[in-house]
Amino acid sequence: MNTLQLIRQVIVHPIDFFYDIQNPKRISWLQGVLLILLLFVAKMLSLIVTGYAFETRQPYEISWVYEFMWIIVPWGAYCVSNWAVSTILEGEGKFKEIFVGSAFALAPYILFIVPVTLLTNILSLDEQSIILFLSNLLLVWCGWLLLVKIKVLHDFELGKMVGIALLTVIGMVIMLFVLILMYGLINQFCSFILDLIKEVRFRY
Amino acid sequence: MRIKHRLTGLILAAVFASGLFVPGVSHAAVPYEGYQWNRHDSDVHSINGYIYQYSMDGYDLESGPFKEPQDLFVAPDGTIFVADTGNNRIVHLSMEMKVLGVIGDAEGKGALSEPKGVFVHPNGTIYVADTKNQRIVLFSPSGKYEKEHTVPHSPLLGKNFTYSPSKLTVDKREVMMVVSEGNTQGLLQIDKNGQFKGFFGANHIGFSWKRLLVNTIATDDQKAQLAVQRPLEFSSVTQDEEGSLYTTTLATETNQIKRLSPVGVDTLNPGRAKRYGDRYDVAGPFELSSFVSISVSPEGFISALDLNTSKVFEYDKLGNLLFVYGGLGDQSGLFKTPADIAGLPDGSMAVLDKGRNRIDVFRTTPFADLVHKASTLYVDGRYEEAESMWKEVLKYNANYDMAYHAIGKSLYKGERYGEAMRYFKLAETKGDYSTAFKEYRKAYMREHFAWFAGGLILLILVLRYAVPLLLRFLRRVVTARMTAGASKAESTWGKGESP
Repeated sequence: MNTLQLIRQVIVHPIDFFYDIQNPKRISWLQGVLLILLLFVAKMLSLIVTGYAFETRQPYEISWVYEFMWIIVPWGAYCVSNWAVSTILEGEGKFKEIFVGSAFALAPYILFIVPVTLLTNILSLDEQSIILFLSNLLLVWCGWLLLVKIKVLHDFELGKMVGIALLTVIGMVIMLFVLILMYGLINQFCSFILDLIKEVRFRY
Repeated sequence: MRIKHRLTGLILAAVFASGLFVPGVSHAAVPYEGYQWNRHDSDVHSINGYIYQYSMDGYDLESGPFKEPQDLFVAPDGTIFVADTGNNRIVHLSMEMKVLGVIGDAEGKGALSEPKGVFVHPNGTIYVADTKNQRIVLFSPSGKYEKEHTVPHSPLLGKNFTYSPSKLTVDKREVMMVVSEGNTQGLLQIDKNGQFKGFFGANHIGFSWKRLLVNTIATDDQKAQLAVQRPLEFSSVTQDEEGSLYTTTLATETNQIKRLSPVGVDTLNPGRAKRYGDRYDVAGPFELSSFVSISVSPEGFISALDLNTSKVFEYDKLGNLLFVYGGLGDQSGLFKTPADIAGLPDGSMAVLDKGRNRIDVFRTTPFADLVHKASTLYVDGRYEEAESMWKEVLKYNANYDMAYHAIGKSLYKGERYGEAMRYFKLAETKGDYSTAFKEYRKAYMREHFAWFAGGLILLILVLRYAVPLLLRFLRRVVTARMTAGASKAESTWGKGESP
């Protein structure tokens, strides 16, 4: 099955889609990476085609590295956190399924954010609510797909699914905290080593 | 022929050159640089609106030099009153800076002690805030003592009230609006009989989550130890021709300048928190501006004096920054401790420098005159008349954002929405851009109605007939290929499995 057909399926029959991708032959790691790259492209495109009145940032304030990090870091953290939490709590999903599945769950955003943003060129600020509604709708759609993904992939009940979703978010926060902590510690450690080298060099 | 051409060229050049160097005007460099705050929170170079012209320190006057003067008032007839605080007197000067009289230096009931404010009513009565004596003294137009109003009494004032009148203005009903130093409840309204009539236009304490949290958690003992939050104090007050009161407030980042309506509501900053003065949130050595004086011209231009930077900020009637001049320093045109500002009848501005005991007079530049003229029309809503002037302003200074905005508004009013959008974009006013765009869209739709209607019909036809046809066709192709592929796959699978 090619990627386009998978995207079509996740939009039209999401529940079937998540059942189907449990067959390891149907998906590949590359598809997950491709979808995330597409998400990045869609995001950048939507920033470019935004109408003047709706621009919130000046062009020089936008950095593609920054935008990319804002996509890749939360998504990566989500995958790892969701996999870890659900594995501990008897989920059936494999990491590959979570990786690719969560990337496909963002398909509505990838597909529709550019058309929705194009609307900003023909709407005025008075009609801003339309844009807000549509873009929020996209986010809700993606969020719902992620929930469906958790439920189907791990074969959870509804209550457990909600619990896992919450735990995933908490897990992401903890991961972030540990990362910052590690960063601080490694930073200290590195500067300690550097100071040591400096001391030795001063002495001889 | 050619020689003749060259000759006329030379003559022309000479004429132009002589025009550039007008004799009799000194050409010392201006010690400060004009600038504007743009919408990206950066200070952009602009042309100076006011240039230092001359000073007046009183040494040439028969009344002698000033000593820490603190207030300057230009009477309706153009004469100047200086509250010469350190010399305990008021000096009355003519427009040509000749002494017309000295008030309050004689012994008797009219003797003043460190007067910090002076005001002259249109009927000629001179009101002096006699700060050290805690009273307001009225003098006749000739400078004779008339009467005094001592400490007002009212239960509203509270027990700890100390009266220290510093600045005052008197409205048409002869009700005095007095700034009392250290008082945070607003301006004191005192009627012509000396009766206290209530506070006016007090600053309010805004809502703060922190305070709510502290108040809910803290015990009474702890609360007693906290610093009491008081409303902010007014530092000066002035009145425009229409009788609106303008005040400056200390110790706040926003809305330091207010225009109070007769019921005490701020009409200059309706529902907004505007930063006046320099943008210390962006960059600056201080935390806050501290405006100590304000003056409003007959056309409604507001000049406010900031003590921290010693700069004067001029705003239009709507609160848009027009010019900045002055600064801290020793050169002429800079100040040591500026105390008050007042507009002279010819449009120039007089700044009273307490630290240097002198009055510095600044004249407007041609650029400022142009901006003032354009702005007056603009503020009155006569955008079309102002348009050509704003275009002239842009020739002088292409970074003058207000000009783009004003031209945009004029074009909008003239229903030239496309051009208006371009100017609003240059002025970076998204709201107005969007409004103009909406009108542009409407006009565009009307003009190309046939195309839109035709397109809509075509779209419906395509969606109703062409797309389903195409889909049906595609599906047939895909199923055909899939069955072919499946049988092929089956056959290969069969081959692979069979031994």
